[in-house]
Amino acid sequence: MPDVTLTIDGKQVTVPQGTGVVEAAVAAGTEIPTFCHHPKLTPVGMCRMCLVEMGTPKVDPATKQPVLDEEGKPVIQMMPGLQVACTTPASNGMVVKTQTAEVEFARRGVLEMLLTSHPLDCPVCIKGGECPLQNLTMRYGPGVSRFDYEDKVHFQKPIPLGPLIDLDRERCILCSRCVRFEDEIAGDAVLGFANRGRAWQIISKSEPPFNSKFSGNTVDICPVGALMSHDFRFAGRVWEVKPVPSICPHCPVGCNITLDMRYRDIKRVQPRENETVNEIWLCDRGRYGYHFVDSEKRLTKPLVRRSGVLVETTWGEALEEIAQRLYGISQGYKGDVIGGLASGRLANEDLYLFQKLFREVLGSPHIDCRSGAPDEPEHDDLAYAFGVGSGTDLGELGKGAAVLVVGADPEEEAPIYLLRLRRIQRKGGELIVANGRPTKLDGAATRTVRYRYGDEAAFLLGVLSAIFDAGLENKAWAGEHVKGLDTLRRALQPFGVAAIAQATGVAEEVIRGVAETIAKAENLVVVYGREALAVGTPLLQAIGNLLLVTGHVGRAGNGALPILHHNNSRGALDMGVRPDKGPGYTAVAQAGMSAQQMIEAAGTGRLRAMYVAGVDPAATSPRVAAALNKLDLLIVQDLFMTPTAELADYVLPAAAFAERDGTYTNAERRVQRFRQARGFEGESRADWQIFASLGRSLAQLMPTASGSQAKDVRTRGKASAAASTAPVARPWVYRSTDDINNEIVKTVPIYSGASYSNLRSSGGVWGRQSTHDPVFYDGTSYTNTEGYGVQWPTLAEKGGVTFDLVFSQPELVRPVAGSLMLVAAHRLYDGGTLMQNSDALQFWVADPYVGLSRDDASRLQIVSGDKVRITSSVGSIEVWARIDADVPVGAALVPDLEKIPLAGVQTGVLTPVRLEKVEG
Amino acid sequence: MSNGNFAPNGFGSEHPNPLLKEYVVLRNRVIPNIGEIEVYLENGGYETARTTLTTMQPSAVIDQVKASGLRGRGGAGFPTGVKWSFIPKDIFPKYLVCNADESEPGTFNNHEIIDYNPHQLIEGMIIAGFAVGATTGYIYIRGEYAYGARVLEQAIGRAYERGFLGKNLWGSGADFDLFVHRGAGAYICGEETALLESLEGKIGQPRLRPPFPAVKGLYAKPTVVNNVQTLTNVPMIMKNGVEWYRTFGTEKSPGTFAISISGHVRRPGNYEIPLGTTLRQLIDDCAGGIRDGHELKFVVPGGASTNWLVNKPEHLDVPLAWDDMRAIGTELGSGAVIVLDDSTCTVAAAMKIDEFFKHESCGKCTPCREGTHFLTKVWERIEHGHGRTGDVPLLADLAKEMSKDKCFCLLGPSSISAVNSALKYFTAEIEAHIETSRCPLGYTHPMPHLSTAEGSARTGQAPALVR
Repeated sequence: MPDVTLTIDGKQVTVPQGTGVVEAAVAAGTEIPTFCHHPKLTPVGMCRMCLVEMGTPKVDPATKQPVLDEEGKPVIQMMPGLQVACTTPASNGMVVKTQTAEVEFARRGVLEMLLTSHPLDCPVCIKGGECPLQNLTMRYGPGVSRFDYEDKVHFQKPIPLGPLIDLDRERCILCSRCVRFEDEIAGDAVLGFANRGRAWQIISKSEPPFNSKFSGNTVDICPVGALMSHDFRFAGRVWEVKPVPSICPHCPVGCNITLDMRYRDIKRVQPRENETVNEIWLCDRGRYGYHFVDSEKRLTKPLVRRSGVLVETTWGEALEEIAQRLYGISQGYKGDVIGGLASGRLANEDLYLFQKLFREVLGSPHIDCRSGAPDEPEHDDLAYAFGVGSGTDLGELGKGAAVLVVGADPEEEAPIYLLRLRRIQRKGGELIVANGRPTKLDGAATRTVRYRYGDEAAFLLGVLSAIFDAGLENKAWAGEHVKGLDTLRRALQPFGVAAIAQATGVAEEVIRGVAETIAKAENLVVVYGREALAVGTPLLQAIGNLLLVTGHVGRAGNGALPILHHNNSRGALDMGVRPDKGPGYTAVAQAGMSAQQMIEAAGTGRLRAMYVAGVDPAATSPRVAAALNKLDLLIVQDLFMTPTAELADYVLPAAAFAERDGTYTNAERRVQRFRQARGFEGESRADWQIFASLGRSLAQLMPTASGSQAKDVRTRGKASAAASTAPVARPWVYRSTDDINNEIVKTVPIYSGASYSNLRSSGGVWGRQSTHDPVFYDGTSYTNTEGYGVQWPTLAEKGGVTFDLVFSQPELVRPVAGSLMLVAAHRLYDGGTLMQNSDALQFWVADPYVGLSRDDASRLQIVSGDKVRITSSVGSIEVWARIDADVPVGAALVPDLEKIPLAGVQTGVLTPVRLEKVEG
Repeated sequence: MSNGNFAPNGFGSEHPNPLLKEYVVLRNRVIPNIGEIEVYLENGGYETARTTLTTMQPSAVIDQVKASGLRGRGGAGFPTGVKWSFIPKDIFPKYLVCNADESEPGTFNNHEIIDYNPHQLIEGMIIAGFAVGATTGYIYIRGEYAYGARVLEQAIGRAYERGFLGKNLWGSGADFDLFVHRGAGAYICGEETALLESLEGKIGQPRLRPPFPAVKGLYAKPTVVNNVQTLTNVPMIMKNGVEWYRTFGTEKSPGTFAISISGHVRRPGNYEIPLGTTLRQLIDDCAGGIRDGHELKFVVPGGASTNWLVNKPEHLDVPLAWDDMRAIGTELGSGAVIVLDDSTCTVAAAMKIDEFFKHESCGKCTPCREGTHFLTKVWERIEHGHGRTGDVPLLADLAKEMSKDKCFCLLGPSSISAVNSALKYFTAEIEAHIETSRCPLGYTHPMPHLSTAEGSARTGQAPALVR
């Protein structure tokens, strides 16, 4: 869009057309104070704080030409009275005056009026110190009030607006930011107003109250202390806390956060501005789910099993014994009998050392970042080849862009993506949501597709067929970069649109419509989540083929975006914590066993030892526990005494994310740094320290295995300068994560740009307007000093690569007559270990239930509230039934909660189960 | 149809109206029971609509209304034909909304039209809907007019029965459906955008403009919002033509205006007068003058929102027409003349007016929400003998803080008309209140409990004890 130039307080400034005068003033370095206006929300002009004098060039009505004065300058006609700056878009030649006596009078007036109903209880107010009302009163307000105190409004002090948020109606200045945030950004129209005039007040319209996963953001944008996090109320004053930049450890979005520390205590978690990741938002789990760090159940000392009982020991003793025993096993049986599981919750540095320990020291190929649960997904390699292009900003996708969401529930799996994807339709783009059941994203979709569970891949093959049918493939691009187009076309013959429509229950015109939309879109992002990932190779290949055939790879705004399970699942794959690929997706000489195979092998005695870090396979089912029990040596490294740790020979306490340094890689492949905010809990240590200690001990025992590595270490980074004088550098010496990062940058090609210095300096320009201006984001620790992270480049972005189209036949899972398909639905509030101690969040953890369609329920004569037994070929569980309109016929939807031992019945992605009523 | 509490043919119909030769709007005064459809039909009812819809082009209707010079009777006096011509041709559907939320204190002329002459309003809406291309109309009637709403529902029912509403009216191909929507008792819903919000089922608060209702109104579609009296004029204009219509009123304000006069006059009621009649004529010839033994003190000429006029010739001899009223710094408004004689305490009157606005402020913008409350508090303490030195400049200052450009809509600025007028003409009286700590007219109001009103209204609890 063209730019407009205007003059604000005598200073000329050029801004994009459509920019509001308030934002234009920011660009000109002038502050126009606001309360109701927020740059992320549509302006409303309610608080009247932003009144300014405005004028536009006078236009001769006859000639429609600007009138010029003697000097040839356009004559400016000032508008009568004051004008609202927030709702007025800047226009060419406009003149704005923000410092006149009239304007100052108006500001003083508005502040005086606001303070007539405000309690001025700043000394006990949680917002004190970062309060826009306080700050703007100091800057523009009257020194004294002419209003009598007894005439102020008086209300019961905070009332709960929801389980997480308290409302102090006396303090509220009725700016409606919270209501508009929930309506416009979150899409949860749960807040509203009651009464009118001075009695106007915020209420929650939903049941349960304030039913939104983003409620905490309303506290941030509240310009007074009316909305309070229940969590932070009376927990500290904002000037006492020290903000430490960090990354949210809860989901693969990788929101940039700030840990507000007071001595050792995390007082609150605040979003940190990063326009391409989380903007300035944070979901409630990320905001209030940090209490696990302070849990009393944290492991604080290494434990060792003596005479069948776990007893406390020292690090020295534990590590020495572990090294000796691992050495013994690897010498006696070769490394091949040692397996390792390390979850995607660990940092990249940990994971790198973990795989290095196994591959280079122990000589074992058996490592994986999964837990061995029956429905766990294939490793996603799609994002390595054609993940979303570097520079993709989901929030900016609009006209010309299409996003296809398959088998994902972003609200539950990656909440911030919901906010960012919701905007596409409003910006003129296409959002296609395909799923087996309705999700909240449907509300913002331009098209929704409903297939039967298990038909995800078939549906996409139908879309591919439709693309070929209509000749919509990107021939120019595909001809150059893709091989096997004809083979694919032939292979697709049995998957014609009509056949697929019949098999999946998706109408033919819908399939063709989707095909046309995505083939013709300028940009295409395919988002797929847990339910799609679980389908495995056929689906991943179908998505890959779709992207290749339409040429939507290797550019910003294009590519695949898998929502993986853990916050750093992407990093775990990048670091090669998987049996089939090394760090950076390099080939390995010998592929190892997957998590499921390892557990099986443990049961058969094929594996003698396992090292389990941050994973809890035993929790999933008693069968796994029995298998792990047969191991000679089980080492568990975790924050908590998990069921797996209960079985272990050695339990090593790990440090939480807030206690150490590192990097996480988010779903968009963005490597982001988090910082140590406090010392270790008890004697716990960072995961990488533990791996490094073990590596060091083992490397000394087995010098040949890491001889080559020792050389690397010697020539590394800063140490290299000193190397000539002090050549005695021992292998496996890592003093900090910097050392590991240096090694990763050097040895893992895709991470070559992700050095700590690069991460920190990664600024980037997000529009021409400073978004972390204090005028707007007052009251929170938004400022990002830690860089915006670095996206590593995909294969497709490197150029000069041709891709083979591969095809595998999808298995169409069909339920046996009379049985239902068990679908595990991811829940944000799963009640898992990372949610413990966060008492307020427990409200939102669902009670265990199985959701049934009305048809199935009446067939089985089950009503809501009945207790039912779900039986599969491997076991059974008992839960309460709930008739749920969102569950398709033939499916039994069970939320994936910690409380439900789902793995006890699951046999795979979709498990045929039978339901029977146990009690009414 | 007649209501026993009132005169059979309208509010104040027992009084003569020497100023008008022919009724345009309040035809119920001369045709008894015109609210019954049979009577209305006997008097040529719906014939105009039929002729218009079957023989005219919509643009010709708009042109005729434009030529008639009909101006909106709701307050602003905007030319109706011009308003209709703003409706974009290519966006569908369009809506016609009749603003029957008559809530300006002192106004009850729409009330009479609704209760006694509903069919003329409905016919006007059919013609207006045809002119602007709206196929759906709503009458947003204030909730308190429960009887009026029933009358309208019945009249609409009768019209549907005879095919005057619905699909393909008189074979012209034009459709028009009409619905009555009752408000929930908020003054602000008389403001057209707040009315639309309320009609959509939302909280009644004004919208940001632009976009204007003509472009994005009801359900974000082009919408015409007209006052009851405006629409009731339309059938007569279409029936009798522009020249006939212009025989009433002045050049710039043609036609008649049913004005509600109340207060300290001998014969309060609705009087339909040709526009341009002077205020003195209205008070003396129609309303019978000020009651015996008293003198006129001031007049609130166009509803509580307008600046007062006082007992001086340049005010009393002003023609009741939009431009003439504006020239002397007030408004014709909604046609509600409240006459107050020398027994009235200025402070009490201003306090009452501002209490009303405080009660009705929607709360959306700061100056209005807090300012009306602040003003009322100051008036209260002056009236009850607790006035302070400095209250007069304080009132002036507050009025400036709430002036037209500072508030979101016109409700806030409306509330300062009383303040500005009282300060302009009666400063001495206000100062006397403050200096003598009592009302010089001898009014004794019991001092209300501190904060009672606020405490109970906002919390439902007893007020907090202060001090």
